[in-house]
Amino acid sequence: MAYALVALGFVLALNASGAVNFAHGDLVVLGGATAVVGGLWSGLAGPLLLPLVALALGAAGIVAARVAILPLAARPPEATFVATIALAAIIEQGLTVTMGAAPRTAPSLLGSGSFDVAGLVLGRQPFAIVVVGAALVAAVWFLLERTQTGRRMRAVSSDRHMAHAVGIPVSRYIILSLALAGALAGVAGLLLGHQFLVAPTQGAGHMLKAYIAVALGGWGSVPGALLAALGIGAFETFISAGFGDAWASAALYISVLVVLAVRPQGLFGEPLGRRA
Amino acid sequence: MSAVLEIGELSVGAGEIVAVLGGNGAGKTSLLETILGFRSGRVSLFGRDVTSLVVEQRVLSGLGYVPEGRRVFAALTVRENLEAACALPADQRRQRVGEMLALFPMLAERPQARAWLLSGGQQQMLALARALMNKPRLLLLDEPTLGLAPVVVADLLRRLSAMAADGTAIVLAEQRAALALGVASRGVVLSRGRVVRHGTAADLAADPTLADSMAGDDTET
Amino acid sequence: MRALGAFWFTVLLLPPIMALAVLEPFGQRMVALVGIYALMGLGYQLVFGQLGALNLAQGALFGLGAYAAALTAPALGGLALAVAILAAAIPAAIVAAATLRLQSHYFALATLALASIANLLAVHGEGLTGGANGLTGFTASLPRGPLLLAMVWICLIAGVLLYAHLFRGGLGEKARLLRQAPLVAATLGVDGGRWRLAAFVVGGGLAGLAGAFSAAVSGVVSPEATGFSVMVLCLTSVVLGGARHPMGAVLGAAIAVCLPELLRDLQGAWLLAYAVATLAVVRWAPEGLAGLLDGLRGAGVEEPSTPVLPETLPPIAGAQRLTIESVVKRFGGVEALAGVSFTVERGEIVGLIGPNGSGKTTLLNAISGLEPADAGTIGLDDRPIERLAAHLIARAGVGRTFQTPMLEGDTHRIELARVVSTGAAFLLLDEPAAGATDLERDQLALLLRRLRESGRAILIVDHDIELLTRICGRLVCLDRGRVIAAGRPAEVRADARVRASFLGLAEAAA
Repeated sequence: MAYALVALGFVLALNASGAVNFAHGDLVVLGGATAVVGGLWSGLAGPLLLPLVALALGAAGIVAARVAILPLAARPPEATFVATIALAAIIEQGLTVTMGAAPRTAPSLLGSGSFDVAGLVLGRQPFAIVVVGAALVAAVWFLLERTQTGRRMRAVSSDRHMAHAVGIPVSRYIILSLALAGALAGVAGLLLGHQFLVAPTQGAGHMLKAYIAVALGGWGSVPGALLAALGIGAFETFISAGFGDAWASAALYISVLVVLAVRPQGLFGEPLGRRA
Repeated sequence: MSAVLEIGELSVGAGEIVAVLGGNGAGKTSLLETILGFRSGRVSLFGRDVTSLVVEQRVLSGLGYVPEGRRVFAALTVRENLEAACALPADQRRQRVGEMLALFPMLAERPQARAWLLSGGQQQMLALARALMNKPRLLLLDEPTLGLAPVVVADLLRRLSAMAADGTAIVLAEQRAALALGVASRGVVLSRGRVVRHGTAADLAADPTLADSMAGDDTET
Repeated sequence: MRALGAFWFTVLLLPPIMALAVLEPFGQRMVALVGIYALMGLGYQLVFGQLGALNLAQGALFGLGAYAAALTAPALGGLALAVAILAAAIPAAIVAAATLRLQSHYFALATLALASIANLLAVHGEGLTGGANGLTGFTASLPRGPLLLAMVWICLIAGVLLYAHLFRGGLGEKARLLRQAPLVAATLGVDGGRWRLAAFVVGGGLAGLAGAFSAAVSGVVSPEATGFSVMVLCLTSVVLGGARHPMGAVLGAAIAVCLPELLRDLQGAWLLAYAVATLAVVRWAPEGLAGLLDGLRGAGVEEPSTPVLPETLPPIAGAQRLTIESVVKRFGGVEALAGVSFTVERGEIVGLIGPNGSGKTTLLNAISGLEPADAGTIGLDDRPIERLAAHLIARAGVGRTFQTPMLEGDTHRIELARVVSTGAAFLLLDEPAAGATDLERDQLALLLRRLRESGRAILIVDHDIELLTRICGRLVCLDRGRVIAAGRPAEVRADARVRASFLGLAEAAA
């Protein structure tokens, strides 16, 4: 579920800016780190930290946009590629220098341990992740499908030129999308940070999973990315149970290579109406 | 009567339909893009110099644009296309959408349909309705009749005449000169980015050498 | 790309000579490391710098080479280096071959997946790779010390010289075309897939060799070697140095190795500074530090050589007739071409006219193979070409220009010169006179006549009927995907249906 949030932020940023943000995974780690530090400083419990992390990472998303993505919009794609990778390295190294490389634990949302529901033992944190994740996905869905802001964001993603020509302040909406992407990444980092800890080197792994989800689900399709992210999570859990974590990851990567070799246009093709 | 639009030698007043004619590559789209602000150039709208304003600002000051190829927001529904284009607050926006759907019955039939599913004619009507959402005083259309059935073309031209009668200024860029001159009061012919002919619609329509100008052969002027 | 030049050649030779002559083992080790990272960076310059492909596997290929060398050195000694090259080049070849036609965002993902698999193998394949602890104790039979240093730098110097030599002129120009306008490259006969495969394999091989050398220097190979950090270091150092400059990899490697020493007090912060510098370079100095230095030296900017029309136009062998027969092309439910048929013979100029949306550019795209037809045949003499890939059609003798120049700095003139230089017998020109002055039109007319007289065939799309009347032997008029008139210019122009289609009068033209 947390991966779904990461993938959601990733695809929103992709649709808005037209570019892959290789620093997205590190924004997730930054979110976890913010939760760790925020929790230590303020002594606030997990649920109260959530909005703070969201806001902080929303701001980080805007900074990332202003520094590495928007200024390079007119340049060939290699430029954004390098810039966002450099940004990812900056975040990772920045965290290593300030926090050290050792993994930290982020505050939990409902406390550790588990509870009993009708004979089933549910972990508290995993349960909280599912609830919060689902709530956020629903909130984003509501934003995109039922509000004017969301409609305008989708119009900008659909046809930027025409969005200008109907009076939409395009830059503002791109920045808004990237802020939202950052906030989602940050919350995911907080959610994951209790069970899976927070370490500066995790960024690449998060980004890769989101990238795979978007590629498999149909480049630029929001529901596709979400479904694919959930699918990846299920796939990994399934294989992990039988063969261990390493094989789960290996199976995923090999599957990706096979899919790309066999269907160069992606699993579901590019969604209609996308401007390349 | 102060001009609604002034750009170069071209000036358009309220309630006028001016046909901008010329073959492909003559500069019709470039002209419209300059008026909108996608290209640089001196432009005066509604009596003020808007050269320094960006596209969104000019559009919100009273411009509507129906581009070549319609370019509706493909992934959005008919209703969402109209809403996204509207700058009004929520309840006024809802009302305006209702007005548009009433004006365009073929859109009211399926307001929840994704725009990419619509036929060419329906998309053209949607593009027009979308351009009208902010009640523009100047409407720019780039080859709106391309690929449309005659019935739809006739409907479109009738609506343009009605809008002009209501006071909207219209700039109609078209390759199909006869159609455009049928609704326009004046016309200009572009070739290689310059105005090579101008006159009343009647004069231009009656001129046998118009086809030569349209096809890019303007050695006669 | 510029030639190496005396200045940079000196800079290139200096480090190994000085290291061997003057430096102590510690200094020699550093210089060896610079050479090693520069080798990996050089390989990366081929794929990323020249072709613009978003490659994220270079680090993993480095690691594969390191492991291969460590595993085979005890048995094979120096030959382990060759094994390392293969251990990197073969996976690179497999992945590249499988992903030849992928768009760049999918290609990046494929390389990322490859890198991740390599990393997993390194960490978890305990039996083979020693797992997290890695491998040690294999350096006895590998070159060491000054010999190793010399070997690394000999390979590097040879590589840099070869790179600088190969990518001057023609090859560098073709790479630029592939990078900036792959469609144009295809219509000039350049096989983009083959290029990407070759670059990825050679680049990967260099990374593998560098990995092997690195194993020899440090005496230990651990999963770090295949980790993402090596990849990021490679990418950032190449960009910092100058992604396309012949000395870009060397400069970048020098900084990557020396900076941590210089910033020793700041501990881990050197990588941070490095990444910030890379971001700054991308934004404000895209030519990298080597480019900046060249600017400071007053070495001047190397302009890509502009194609120029040959003085004499020799006759060309090959097919004599281009036949277009009942070609149909549909987009969604619309027929952009509804059965177009005509021929173009050598030694004639045929003009293609018609209102907007009549299908002229679509027809050119179908002939040149960019948008294959849905039905009908297109043939050069007896040979059907409608199913061939674009670059093969180009090699069969069909060249084209585009409505708007697709390369930075291009004009219609330059585009035309480039196409003519390929020796294509059939030239498809899409609005070559757009935006031209009267003088330029006259020059164009003269040029086209010369081309015709030299035996070439020209199919020209344009809206300037007056120009076409001057130079064309025949005109073909399209309307809504069909030929509505064909014949001598005067006849076609006077044809009532043609005049009507331009004015938009004829609803029943079909």
